[in-house]
Amino acid sequence: MKTMKWLIKREMWEHKGMLVWAPTVIAALMGALALFAAFFDKNITINSDGSPSQMLSVTLEGKVRTQVIETMAQAYMAASAPVLLVLGFLVFFYCLGALHDERRDRSLLFWKSLPVSDSMTVLSKVLLACVVAPLITLGIGFVLSLVVLLTGSLLLLSHGTNVFGELLLTPDLYLTPLRMLGLLPLYVLWALPTVGWLLMVSSMARSKVFLWAVGTPLVAALLLLWADKAMHIGIDSAWFLSNIVSRLLLSVVPGAWLLFDRSLLSMEHTPHHMPMPQTIFGESWSTLGDANVWIGVAAGVAMIAVAIWMRRRREEG
Amino acid sequence: MSTIITATNLSKKYGKQAALDGVNFTVEAGRIVGLIGPNGSGKTTTLKALLGLTQFDGELSVLGMDPRTERDALMNEVCFIADVAILPKWLKVKDAIDFVEGVHPRFDRSKAEKYLAITKLNPQMKVKAMSKGMVVQLHLALVMAIDAKLLVLDEPTLGLDILYRKQFYQNLLEDYFDENKTIVITTHQIEEVEHILTDLMFIQDGKISLAATMDEVGERFTEVMVEPPFIAAANALRPMTQRTVFGKAIMLFDGVSREQLANFGELRTPSVADLFVATMKGTYA
Repeated sequence: MKTMKWLIKREMWEHKGMLVWAPTVIAALMGALALFAAFFDKNITINSDGSPSQMLSVTLEGKVRTQVIETMAQAYMAASAPVLLVLGFLVFFYCLGALHDERRDRSLLFWKSLPVSDSMTVLSKVLLACVVAPLITLGIGFVLSLVVLLTGSLLLLSHGTNVFGELLLTPDLYLTPLRMLGLLPLYVLWALPTVGWLLMVSSMARSKVFLWAVGTPLVAALLLLWADKAMHIGIDSAWFLSNIVSRLLLSVVPGAWLLFDRSLLSMEHTPHHMPMPQTIFGESWSTLGDANVWIGVAAGVAMIAVAIWMRRRREEG
Repeated sequence: MSTIITATNLSKKYGKQAALDGVNFTVEAGRIVGLIGPNGSGKTTTLKALLGLTQFDGELSVLGMDPRTERDALMNEVCFIADVAILPKWLKVKDAIDFVEGVHPRFDRSKAEKYLAITKLNPQMKVKAMSKGMVVQLHLALVMAIDAKLLVLDEPTLGLDILYRKQFYQNLLEDYFDENKTIVITTHQIEEVEHILTDLMFIQDGKISLAATMDEVGERFTEVMVEPPFIAAANALRPMTQRTVFGKAIMLFDGVSREQLANFGELRTPSVADLFVATMKGTYA
């Protein structure tokens, strides 16, 4: 346990720039953009003729007011979407380099001179990719969302509507981030095939890790397509592309499960219905009923095992 | 005295090329063994096998463990510097100490800090900003603070200037080594390690061509500055090598009694380097 703590710290030292600063900078830019839009955009602050006295006053009352507050409390975490999208990239490239960089700079020999097993090391990298990195990003996303929410509320206030009191009393304000946190186990399960695949390639490839990781499945898909077209052997290359290739490469994108699980497509067809956080939450967890996720978990675990074996057996390249 | 390493019929092939070809040797506790051989002779492969960094055929026992299957346990007792400059660039001095302290049960933080205090390294410094010599100092500080039973050094001073090299071996001998520790070291700078070694092992073409203690080496090998009248007589005893310095023939003999050789001229104990050159004759031919 103590060793694992230090291994995680080690990864943080190495990848601080990538895991903390990259999302922070993006969040800061987003926040700055929101503030800028709120206070300087002429479409919103309607005083284009330069006369402050003509400031439009918006008064929200009754049902509309309740709805606006409810929506704000439920949807404000959507502001963290860009940061979460970045998380997908971060985890992808983190895993790609995780077992390759230490061979390339030969620091592997130093790590191997310490009494830390290969499985412990590889698991620390899995843990970092699946749990630590998402938690950091979620934290940053939460702060960004609060900033955006605050900006929106201040904007309403400047137009004469104070929503702060009621907003703070809305349970959804607190439940939404918790729901997102509650999706973390789901993220781990869905991300495992990509994490496993990338770690495995990272532990094997001598060079050009990215090419191996992305090229291999794509070329395989192309070959299947060609074989199917040329010889009519009845391989469904489209199935291969969406069930194997995309699961190997895209599963680290947060919320990707909503794309992979076909049963959820119905949700999008409901007209004029914005999927509310609890709906997304419930639907997301219901994807665990699908075999897709569990096959992916099994494949991911198997590929991680191969990565451990490779790190154990591989002589520095 | 207990045996630390026993290698029996150690073999390793890279493709068709045999890197180790039936190597046998033992290393006793409390020794400093120099494993010396030309490039490509199998030195590094032997060390890698000892450390469980490579697969091999044959039997190998290090501290009673098989490095192939018990590597994780072995690393509690064994420490190694595989090469210079393998510390990752992003590592800070203080983080390196924290990390090793966190994962190594035999690490003594105060020792490492004591050693670092006499260098120019400061805790916030990153490996990226260090000179090659400083990286080695940091690595050595980490390793010397680990109370390991066996320390393996593969070309630890490669690329360092003479000041760092001297300091390195001095620290190793004075601050680290004691009768409970065993050091196996490979290097090309034979002259510099000669005086600290207790045992000598020559490796050539994947085979051990000489394994002896330094005392045995001194008894077995003799160098003679042969006076001109005795050259024919000396040649009859079949010297390993013969070279000429200032018009005098210097011959190196293996296993010829000193009394006999004393008749021919002045006797000397050969340097390990001379012995090495004599033993490895024809390696690149």
